[in-house]
Amino acid sequence: MKRTLLAPTLLLLLLGAACYRLTIGSAPGRGAIVFCEAGQIHTLDPAKMTWMQDIRAALALWEGLVRYNPRTLAPLPGIARSWRISSNRLTYTFHIRRRARWSNGAAVTANDFLFAWKRMLHPATGAGYVMMLFHIAGAKAYFDSLARHPGERLSFATVGARALGRRTLVVHLAHPCTYFLDLLAFPPFFPLNARSMQPFAYRRGGYQPRWTRPPHLVTDGPYELIGWKFHQYLLLRPNPYFWDRRTVRCRRLRIANYPDAESAFLAYQSGAVDVLSFVPSDFAHALLREQRLGLRHDVHYRLVFGSYYYLFNCRHKPLNNPQVRIALALAINKREIVRDVTRLPERPLNVLVPPGSIPGYRSPRGLRMNIAAARKLLAAAGYPDGHGLRRLKFLTDNAAAINGRIAQAVQEMWRKELGVRIRINEEETKVFHQDMVHGNYDIASAGWYGDYMDPTTWLDLFRTGNPNNLSGFSSRRYDLLLRRAGRSVHSAERFALLRRAEKLLVEKYLPAIPLFQAGDGLMYHPARLGGLSMNVRMITLLQYIHWRRDRQGIPPAGRTRIPGSTAAKERQRQAGTQP
Amino acid sequence: MISFILRRLLQSALVMAVVYTGTFWLLMATPGDPFIGNKQPPPAVLRALRARYGLNNPWKAYFAYAWRVLRYGDFGPTISYENWTVRDVIRQTLPVSMALGSLALLIALWAGVAAGMAGALLKGRWPDVALTIGTLLGISLPTFVVGSALLILFSVDVAVFPPGGWGTLRQLVLPALTLSLPFLAYIARLSRSSALDVMSADFVRTARAKGVSRLKVVRGHILPNASLAVLTYLGPAAAGVLTGSFVVEKIFAIPGLGEVFVNACLDKDIPLVLGAVLVYTFILVIMNLLVDIGCAWADPRIRIG
Repeated sequence: MKRTLLAPTLLLLLLGAACYRLTIGSAPGRGAIVFCEAGQIHTLDPAKMTWMQDIRAALALWEGLVRYNPRTLAPLPGIARSWRISSNRLTYTFHIRRRARWSNGAAVTANDFLFAWKRMLHPATGAGYVMMLFHIAGAKAYFDSLARHPGERLSFATVGARALGRRTLVVHLAHPCTYFLDLLAFPPFFPLNARSMQPFAYRRGGYQPRWTRPPHLVTDGPYELIGWKFHQYLLLRPNPYFWDRRTVRCRRLRIANYPDAESAFLAYQSGAVDVLSFVPSDFAHALLREQRLGLRHDVHYRLVFGSYYYLFNCRHKPLNNPQVRIALALAINKREIVRDVTRLPERPLNVLVPPGSIPGYRSPRGLRMNIAAARKLLAAAGYPDGHGLRRLKFLTDNAAAINGRIAQAVQEMWRKELGVRIRINEEETKVFHQDMVHGNYDIASAGWYGDYMDPTTWLDLFRTGNPNNLSGFSSRRYDLLLRRAGRSVHSAERFALLRRAEKLLVEKYLPAIPLFQAGDGLMYHPARLGGLSMNVRMITLLQYIHWRRDRQGIPPAGRTRIPGSTAAKERQRQAGTQP
Repeated sequence: MISFILRRLLQSALVMAVVYTGTFWLLMATPGDPFIGNKQPPPAVLRALRARYGLNNPWKAYFAYAWRVLRYGDFGPTISYENWTVRDVIRQTLPVSMALGSLALLIALWAGVAAGMAGALLKGRWPDVALTIGTLLGISLPTFVVGSALLILFSVDVAVFPPGGWGTLRQLVLPALTLSLPFLAYIARLSRSSALDVMSADFVRTARAKGVSRLKVVRGHILPNASLAVLTYLGPAAAGVLTGSFVVEKIFAIPGLGEVFVNACLDKDIPLVLGAVLVYTFILVIMNLLVDIGCAWADPRIRIG
């Protein structure tokens, strides 16, 4: 007996213990703040980031010429201590701080920005947000030329960005861009430390992707990266050379990555993490109710700079006819969707750009629900009561269950009010995106979060020739308005032009039906943690996060109720409410 | 013996090649594009990305990936986590799955043998009946039901264990229990039936007749003979624990290879899927090989045949 069972037991014990030791990494350490993301870090290369969790991590590690105001997102001096803008709004001169330092102590220079931008503008880098750099004069031509002849040795001098000495950076724009400063605070414009990347350079150009892993990564922001366990966490500590070091009050910051919202929320409830970077949508309704009843105070929820809409494929019959599109839009009861389906304090929308989020921009009215007008329009288009109309292919993404539920509600509204029938296809995310890009749909659900505080972050989606224009919509009048707005220097005049463009979209052509403005938020106990602020783009800046000094006596985040659990129901019954 | 092992090794290599080919072309045939996401970059960027992963031409990619894995032992950077190569990812996540699997197997082994022995010794009495029903449930209940039930019971309603994650021993308890259950049940059945076989053997009756105490007979004769059957099952069980852990890893947010593999399939991360599939195949093949060698060593008839 001893030999038969003991050998495998010992073997398993040894193997298990060794593997376990290998994988656990370091404990968060006393005083560490654990910030939790639902979703993994996809890359720490600022040139290639498109995911929100990557961008939030980048904003903790790097700083651009400009930084965001944590609440309003207005541009504040960052690595650049000041800047001058020429009267034609085409030339920006930035003065870089003498005290701006990389985490290895080297000075941040104008060339570090040029190096990063040059790398970004090379098609082989594979930068998802490369189009943001096309505002710089000559950048698009440089990119296009390299795209045509990949091996070509092109001079970067044709691009309108140059360094005057070590600490002055001059940027010439191709056209006036009122939100250019806003863009500069975003990861694609972050500087890179060329020397620390040098050991990872390939002979044929490009870098081994390992350069972003600790201890190799050198950054110029509030924190430096000291640990990265794959699919587990990033570990950060204050960058000792950061010029604004005194604002960084957190001694250790751990950005924990959980695979999905549910497990992240459970971890939050058990006290394993201190901040959730989102309010879990499956529980949000119950959580917000508990908050209203005064049972909890850790839900911070707001409307964000994102909208949910349905996109039409404007290439084929019958949806190439605006009358049909408008008829379908007029028959949707958006209030009902928000009240009964999403059940969250989200705002029904009749326009694409969430109203009130951009100072100075007045949204058009948009179309309100009107069943009678919808029927009339459908009849005028040749489909009275939906007769003669084929069953439309409706595409949605199965990543979130809510997509399917909203689609079913809309399906019923269209069937009942207009006699229009749709077939709902719920597809895997990657298949969904592929079908969208190839125009393999009639109507599709879509969501868009603005990348910068300007209406064009939405309106460009319907510009002819934009790779993100998936509806196939093309209108010369619309493109012309956008082009005229792009040339305009005066903010009021520009916004008026953009308003006319949006009015065309949401009242006349309707390549998309806006449904509602999305909401999102944070979860943390304000009595325990300070320095977190919410903004409309959910760019949570971790620079200022810190423990409250008097947090003794306050229970840890966990061990509170989970909505729907027996304990929560019991608690609610005690509070005199029905769950 | 050596020619037997060599022959089996050659067969294993062939199996790996077939699995690689099958996986690669299945990936090519399934819909979805790993490089297309919510925000569309200019076409030149997409072309450059495809070129970097060598995916512009499937036939070229098929041979290039095979060459890369033979020459460097790596498929190169993954698509969805581009700072990590496939080898990095496996190196970080396979030990997690292995630690979890070892503990699960340990639980399954000891609890299973103990339960099986108890069932055999108390044959026909109520603990035996309870055990039979329990093992039937253990084998037939899928892990996502057991896992979710344990999670709700022991970390939501009664917060005894943390709800998931990785890093402390307490976090291991629920997932290891969930993962071990089907194997535990199978081992219990196996050891019960083989213990019953041994108990009716002549030498056991003789030992009892000689006046050897019941406990000594169990320890000296029944258990060792019953464990032999369990031992041969440990090979496939080890492979099963490793390759079948993805549901448990998903439920308990464990950063193991299983969870990465499932997401890689959804993301169509071609190099990562290929890497994970080959690692799983390798584990299965090696475990089967070890079992076969063990059997061949014990039983000469297999060697010749």
